[in-house]
Amino acid sequence: MTAGFSLPSRFGAQSLGGCYAPETLMQTLLDLETAFRAALADPAFQVELKSELRHFVGRPTPLTSAPRLAAKLGLKALFLKREDLTHTGAHKINNALAQAILARRMGKTEIIAETGAGQHGVATAAACARLGLACTVYMGVTDMARQAPNVARMRLFGTKVVPVEAGQGTLKEAVNEALRAWAGRCDRAHYILGSALGPHPFPTLVRTFQTVIGEEARLQVLEQSGELPELVLACAGGGSNGLGLLVPFLGDALRRVAVEAGGHGKALGEHAARLDGGRMGVLHGCKTLLLQDHHGHTAETASISAGLDYPALGPELAALVLDGKVEVRRASDEEALVGARLLCESEGILPALESSHALALLPALAAEGAATVLLGLSGRGDKDLSTYQSRLGI
Amino acid sequence: MNLNPLLPFLMAGDPSLEALPQLLSDARALGLEAIELGLPHSDPIADGPVLQAAAHRAIARGATPLNVLESLAGISDSPDIILFTYLNPLLQIGTERLKVLLRLTPVKALLVVDLPFGEEAGFEAELRAAGYPMVPLLAPTTTLDRARQILSYRPDPGPAHGFAQRFAYVVARLGVTGIGQGMDLTPIAGRVAELRTLSERPLAVGFGLSDAKSLQSIRALAATPVIGSALVQELADGRNLTEILNWRLVDDD
Repeated sequence: MTAGFSLPSRFGAQSLGGCYAPETLMQTLLDLETAFRAALADPAFQVELKSELRHFVGRPTPLTSAPRLAAKLGLKALFLKREDLTHTGAHKINNALAQAILARRMGKTEIIAETGAGQHGVATAAACARLGLACTVYMGVTDMARQAPNVARMRLFGTKVVPVEAGQGTLKEAVNEALRAWAGRCDRAHYILGSALGPHPFPTLVRTFQTVIGEEARLQVLEQSGELPELVLACAGGGSNGLGLLVPFLGDALRRVAVEAGGHGKALGEHAARLDGGRMGVLHGCKTLLLQDHHGHTAETASISAGLDYPALGPELAALVLDGKVEVRRASDEEALVGARLLCESEGILPALESSHALALLPALAAEGAATVLLGLSGRGDKDLSTYQSRLGI
Repeated sequence: MNLNPLLPFLMAGDPSLEALPQLLSDARALGLEAIELGLPHSDPIADGPVLQAAAHRAIARGATPLNVLESLAGISDSPDIILFTYLNPLLQIGTERLKVLLRLTPVKALLVVDLPFGEEAGFEAELRAAGYPMVPLLAPTTTLDRARQILSYRPDPGPAHGFAQRFAYVVARLGVTGIGQGMDLTPIAGRVAELRTLSERPLAVGFGLSDAKSLQSIRALAATPVIGSALVQELADGRNLTEILNWRLVDDD
């Protein structure tokens, strides 16, 4: 147990999570936990957050029945939780906005963030513009190239986007650089981590601000169909979307499934499927399932989806998986593309490549006998148009 | 107090693993009691550009945590080594095997950058019992109260032990390792004085020190300056260790 914290920093039977941070950041993390607890207990914070989620983000997001796609797949019913319809186009805004309000309460004047697909970066940039906070986003150069529209959106919101050249130029390197920047400016800057990762209290903070997805979805599905689905399904990079949708269903007798990026192969370096070949390790401040070589160096990863292209599964989601409460499956790049096309043609909805990994699993789940499914559509696919155009030949 | 004039940092495997024994021997010939040796890691989140690049060069040339420790086996012509590392490679080696590997080396203490006190308590206690204490790190953000806790959790084993096992590392500035330029060292004097009220153990001060003047001003506080990035950069530029360090060991009048 890390000294000084009040909230539990560990998850599950194998005690995942923790706070493996450089000493420079420790007091800042302790202060962050204190501020987080105070905010949760403060009705004024809750009122402001709720109001912003409603009037700025557009919550509650709809739960859309997808009857034509359900019929094609042989499902009795399929419901889509439409995080793609939030302002900025993905679930990331729920957490970014809440943390930005928290940062302002803490008297921080600057925000630092990392981004992979750019959805968290855009959400943070928008929240900072809204609240009048200076914002710097670190983004790998590979991701900047494949998610160019999001880079432009961040810049329009007045955010400084810093290209990270190191390594593969993806999310892992962006987190490295954001952590380094934070260590230099932690006296005045807050780091808005975008996924349920990192040192305590980040995994708990991010999960807390994302469970609004599942809480809404649970009420909506009961209201629309009078019963809970047999299966709830979400894609998982670090795990903010996965936890956000699945956690409110933990007490229910149903299947909870998270989908990882299967990339283009089964060998280490060809995918981002942490359950296949991931081992317990420490990266970016937490202990969790990690793709690594036998020396403890982080392995390279690959995915068509920048948002899922990360070597570690968030500690709480990994713990839920290891403790048998959530199933994990994988979908390949090709399967995700098929899934995206299927939703576009059947329902007129363009999903993000991340969400397409969840869609890709539907045929297999239908074949396994699932009849009613609730799927988290974590984001919209406008940012991925160039990938869809080149890979689907349209 | 017998003051160590300098605590240099080397990245194992940079410029090469083969060069390491000679570098350690040269350091000892300069009269240095202790040296920090970095274990190259894929994701050095507390390091600036120079040490990141050095770690990646070392890894690209085949340095691994295991072959670094194996290459240190049997070396006696060396200062005491403080192994500077991130936690994950040590966890993957495992405590038992790590103890066996360390036994044959001049490693006397561990500085694990991402292991705050209280985390992995069993691992830390076992290594301390085997003779490999964790160096307490005190950042500019560490409150005095927290510093007190850290120093008692990672205690001074007393004057019968060498500098490597006794010292506390005072981080001179916010941020990551690197070559500082025109750093204002005034706050350091107050910080060192403040920390001295908590403990009599030797103090090293690092992060951003490179020029003779800043090293000298740390020594003027009866503390040991750490030189890392500047040394690693100059070694990478092809200069030799003795030439780089010699003039930095003595104060100008």
